[in-house]
Amino acid sequence: MSLDYVKFSNGFEKFMPKEYRDMVEHGPFGKKVTVSQMGSFKEALEEHPMCAGCAMTLFIRLAIIAFPNPEDTITVGTAGCGRLAISQAAIPFVYGNYGDQNGVASGLSRGLRLRFGDKPKDVVVMAGDGGTADIGFQQVLHSWFRKERFTTIMLDNEVYGNTGGQESGMTNRGAVLKMAPLGKKFEKMDMLQMAKVAGCAYVATVVPNNPRRVESVIKKAVLIAREVGSTYIQAYTSCNIEYAIPTDKVMEDAKTVENDRYQFTEYVSEEAKQYLAERYGYKEFLPKPAAAIPNKA
Amino acid sequence: MYLVANVNVEICASKSCKLCTQYCPEANTIQYSEEMGKEQGFKYGSAYIAVDRCKGCALCVWVCDSLAKNNAIKMTMIDQLPKAALTDNITYGDKSTTAVLASPMVG
Repeated sequence: MSLDYVKFSNGFEKFMPKEYRDMVEHGPFGKKVTVSQMGSFKEALEEHPMCAGCAMTLFIRLAIIAFPNPEDTITVGTAGCGRLAISQAAIPFVYGNYGDQNGVASGLSRGLRLRFGDKPKDVVVMAGDGGTADIGFQQVLHSWFRKERFTTIMLDNEVYGNTGGQESGMTNRGAVLKMAPLGKKFEKMDMLQMAKVAGCAYVATVVPNNPRRVESVIKKAVLIAREVGSTYIQAYTSCNIEYAIPTDKVMEDAKTVENDRYQFTEYVSEEAKQYLAERYGYKEFLPKPAAAIPNKA
Repeated sequence: MYLVANVNVEICASKSCKLCTQYCPEANTIQYSEEMGKEQGFKYGSAYIAVDRCKGCALCVWVCDSLAKNNAIKMTMIDQLPKAALTDNITYGDKSTTAVLASPMVG
């Protein structure tokens, strides 16, 4: 939880594997890295067992690069594909039991505040649609109502991916899956609206076919969660196995879905806008100069 | 044998859009070197693949063909690659990486 853990123990440097040495010397810790620098620095994410061409992995990769302070971040996950990649990053990862990731993150976030005071320590929950909207639904919603200060990211692949393709609350109506052969009979849950009703300070949808947007959305969500309140990001991260998308067409599918039901939306509460503008210099949220406001009188 | 992505340095170094580096689901697999095109007289550097990490999904091929419209990446059988980069042969610098290209079958 500080730069102290990303260094060599005395005398052990020469015994460390190359990947570890690269991470200490050229990793993202203690400096600002952006999506446009990808391919030229050692990433916190390492090799992982996710399927080839997985859009969820791409999103996780971008998210980890976008963390404002990776050395001061803890990720929390639960059962589902996503944990296989998130746990392979040089960032502490807490594996909650199925469904309790937001409860774990609540305690963690409060504990870190007690221990470190004002020093920012970010807690980011990354769980699948099943973990967030079905099995963990109650704890997710309660953490939002309590205005717990951490970020919840839903990796929405619209299916239970690694258990064989059962429908989830986030599956579209009518979708036929291996374990839902008659097609889903209910609508996709509107988690965005629920996040707003529950009082999240920042709610956004994003699709990984726009890496810079993913980066900006995650940065904002993590920064707002430091002081203002809960933040929620819902990301479409297709499952190319269960939805039988050829791996080279994964981004084409992301584009189609983005146009169909995953248009970029962003809700920022007034308090969060003010916080971003004053603390982090976000120009788009600065109050408009008086002359720019049309005279209503 | 299996397929891995292969970047055509001549096309890549003349465009240098770096889009593929942002779309690969694998970390540190599509790398970027400022020097790779320069020795052949190109203006920019080039992307290259750490073939030991490539899972062969061909997502980068779609990005290069359809988004960037450069057609610089092709899927190639690993034993058909004359030379390629392996993670062990990649050195990180301040803003770029350098790779010693070797025969992937030997490495």
